Amino acid sequence: MTELSHIRNFSIIAHIDHGKSTLADRFIQLCGGLTDREMAEQVLDSMDLERERGITIKAQSVTLRYKARDGEEYKLNLIDTPGHVDFSYEVSRSLFACEGALLVVDAGQGVEAQSVANCYTAIDQGLEVVPVLNKMDLPQAEPDRVSQEIEDVIGIEATEAVRCSAKNGEGVEDVLEELIRLVPPPQGDTEGPLQALIIDSWFDNYLGVVSLVRIRQGTLKQGDKILIKSTGRPWTAEKVGIFTPKPTETGELGTGEVGFIIAGIKDIHGAPVGDTITYQKTPDTEMVPGFKNVQPQVYAGLFPVSSEDYEAFRDALDKLTLNDASLFFEPENSDALGFGFRCGFLGMLHMEIVQERLEREYGIDLITTAPTVIYEVVTTDGELQEVSNPSYLPETASVEEMREPIVEASILVPQEYIGNVIALCEERRGVQTNMTFLSTQVQLTYELPMAEVVLDFFDRVKSASRGFASLDYHFKRFQASNLVKLDVLINGERVDALALIVHRDQAEYRGRAVIEKMKELIPRQMFDIAIQAAIGNHVIARSTVKALRKNVTAKCYGGDVSRKKKLLQKQKEGKKRMKSLGKVDVPQEAFLAVLRVDDK
Amino acid sequence: MTDTSRPPLSLYIHVPWCVRKCPYCDFNSHALTGDLPEGAYRHALLEDLQEDLGGVDNRPIDTVFIGGGTPSLMSADFYHCLFDGLREHLTLAPDAEITLEANPGTLEQGRFRGFREAGINRLSIGVQSFQASHLEVLGRIHDADAARRAMDEARAAGFERFNVDLMHGLPDQTVNDAIADLHTAMAHEPPHISWYQLTLEPNTAFYSAPPRLPDEETLAAIADAGAETLSGSGYRPYEVSAWSRDGDIARHNLNYWQFGDYLALGAGAHGKITFPNGDIRRYWKTRQPEAYLNRLGSRTAGQSTIEPSERPLEFLMNALRLTDGVEEALFEARTGVPLSSIQDELTALRQEGLLTPDRLQTTPMGQRYLDSILQRFLGD
Repeated sequence: MTELSHIRNFSIIAHIDHGKSTLADRFIQLCGGLTDREMAEQVLDSMDLERERGITIKAQSVTLRYKARDGEEYKLNLIDTPGHVDFSYEVSRSLFACEGALLVVDAGQGVEAQSVANCYTAIDQGLEVVPVLNKMDLPQAEPDRVSQEIEDVIGIEATEAVRCSAKNGEGVEDVLEELIRLVPPPQGDTEGPLQALIIDSWFDNYLGVVSLVRIRQGTLKQGDKILIKSTGRPWTAEKVGIFTPKPTETGELGTGEVGFIIAGIKDIHGAPVGDTITYQKTPDTEMVPGFKNVQPQVYAGLFPVSSEDYEAFRDALDKLTLNDASLFFEPENSDALGFGFRCGFLGMLHMEIVQERLEREYGIDLITTAPTVIYEVVTTDGELQEVSNPSYLPETASVEEMREPIVEASILVPQEYIGNVIALCEERRGVQTNMTFLSTQVQLTYELPMAEVVLDFFDRVKSASRGFASLDYHFKRFQASNLVKLDVLINGERVDALALIVHRDQAEYRGRAVIEKMKELIPRQMFDIAIQAAIGNHVIARSTVKALRKNVTAKCYGGDVSRKKKLLQKQKEGKKRMKSLGKVDVPQEAFLAVLRVDDK
Repeated sequence: MTDTSRPPLSLYIHVPWCVRKCPYCDFNSHALTGDLPEGAYRHALLEDLQEDLGGVDNRPIDTVFIGGGTPSLMSADFYHCLFDGLREHLTLAPDAEITLEANPGTLEQGRFRGFREAGINRLSIGVQSFQASHLEVLGRIHDADAARRAMDEARAAGFERFNVDLMHGLPDQTVNDAIADLHTAMAHEPPHISWYQLTLEPNTAFYSAPPRLPDEETLAAIADAGAETLSGSGYRPYEVSAWSRDGDIARHNLNYWQFGDYLALGAGAHGKITFPNGDIRRYWKTRQPEAYLNRLGSRTAGQSTIEPSERPLEFLMNALRLTDGVEEALFEARTGVPLSSIQDELTALRQEGLLTPDRLQTTPMGQRYLDSILQRFLGD
């Protein structure tokens, strides 16, 4: 077992494209964790979707053995953190397992908002933050300016920050040396009763639940009779080991170490993230102060296109939640779409990933309704309701007040784009609460309605700043607001699945935009289709999809039949991906028209 | 007795050669290189007939259609001998309709008269358009003058019955262009006009490099104006694209649309046969002229049984094309499947105003959306 003084537990905080994965790969290579042949690119991002999107969603860890310049061998545990704002809660979780964090900043681009937020979290949790300037190989690298910015924005000493290029490997060893010098070794009573914090749990089809743990106290050995504190259930530690990054059984994990435990648990809820593991014989061992459960921020209805898929859909959601405790779902019944589930997500990216996994891995064709945040409604009889589905909004007459969630958003933007970003925030009903000029960037703080932020704000901020601005936000409070329910009617019928909650001042504009987009998306059919947007009984926008002129094959003779049949089949395949509302066939995309209004 | 219970039998003969391939054509046609192998092809067709005789079952041949390709490339003598050969194994009904597809670009002195003397009694003339620019886009080998002469020649050669094929919705075509084509054709008083909208079919030059077609409004205006023009001159539509005067309908095509049987001779020809045990089979001949001529293996390239579950769609794909549709009784007679199996769909379509109450017939609205109707009869 490694002496505590020779262990370092750390995370890397970095913006999505500032080179975190490349740097992690370099560490692994340097410490011989994988042969070059095994070294698939960016090994830490293991899920296919993550690899495709170039982001990290789940925390992962790797144990590295590094022979330092002082001649000693150190055990370095890197706990990876997600790089997207939707998953910021996962960051805090990973940081709980560490004594330090590397703040990796692109020496050409400077600090960005999400890293700032994560750094604050790290500092709050008592971690030592070690700044690293990456991408020094790029001609536009300005290390001095960026060091200054780190000091200005985050308030940590950065003039001596290590400079490296993960791409060509230069300075990577220096980073590890700095890490050993600055990050304190873990502490804890190696002889005390076991106290292991569950950093993450995931479901593996062959092994059952695998939990990533940080040993705070004592030792966890294979065969130990263990207890999950919150559930009180006893298990046996069947396998114990570390990731190198390949899972490698070591038989035990000592105080200060990070590794995995497999105990035959079949359900992820049996090993909740943030929970504590101890021995069955020491049930009174204290819980490690954990982290709070994360709440979904965005809700949407998901409905199978074919009602026959309902059961398969439920099973798929069950399976997904085995591995994704932040995914929430409950049955929902829509007049228009039938039986489905209202699902809660951490954000739009999370929603897209879940949707994609359901369609790709489970083969379920889905219709997703427009995502919405949670609103608070005070009824006239004084009751407070939470509404995450516009169609469940109480009657206007019985609504005393509606409140919407407000976030505090922090945006870092180069000075030349500040006008664009401010204009965007104003357009999104934002209220500026702070503006600080840094060396070349400006830090803007806004209070914004969450509904204006979750859908596409991040993309907008990016395009308003040629990709340079960065954003972080967190929920602040509920605030009374003049909100209305915007209904969409197709051929005079209100479609519950298309209802939206919008601010009164934006209702006309949003109504027109949604109607126009739906007109583009709904194919012409045998009859005219009237599409209307209405608030209550007041129609605020209307449009018509003109009837198809005709749909008939010009010629069909004896030898043509099988070819013509194939054409019909093809047309029908297209129709299968649509939902019939009354007589009208509506394509899946139309239910998300509200998200597409700005596409051109 | 079998005659009332078995569908009428037609014969389709395919001649696969063309002077050159038109960019819109998805039929089995091959540009001719070298001499036409008339004798060898006739020999191959008659040999091929042996593979089909099992499906004849004593039925007379009511109609013959010789399509292509460009069957008018073949000489009158070719047909004369071919029919003699066919008669040795088949009974041609005394009033059999025998149609030949004729390309105005193959018009030579006396050619049509020769066809008439060989026993062909109906011509289908592939005019497509009378406007030089459109003929060029369509890759036709004839000009407007040849098209007009072809119609005159047909009549002069003794063809009382002939059809003119015209296309509309051509690249850059205006309403006036389309109507002018109809008027030019009607001036020669053809008893039958097939007036098709140009469709970009897979596996054609137009499909891979689509020409710019008129917008949907123009297409609709052309269709409306054309229908009015044809009706105004005494033509009645009896099928989606087929117009005739004085009830002079194409009996051969009618047999297709009434789900009748047909033998298939020639490279790439398709046939359909109902067997006495109720099986219905489609089959097709090898497409490559060389392979067909040299009989590389069986000339029958493939066959498939039309399962009872597929028959309603296949029947309706054809029958509902007819303006008057068919009697309900014909459904079971031709498919062997009880009408009750599609009763729910029929009822729904009738309620939606797409089918008429007592026949298997589309309403005028149903005719316009025929493909949408047929999709309801597609299995999953």
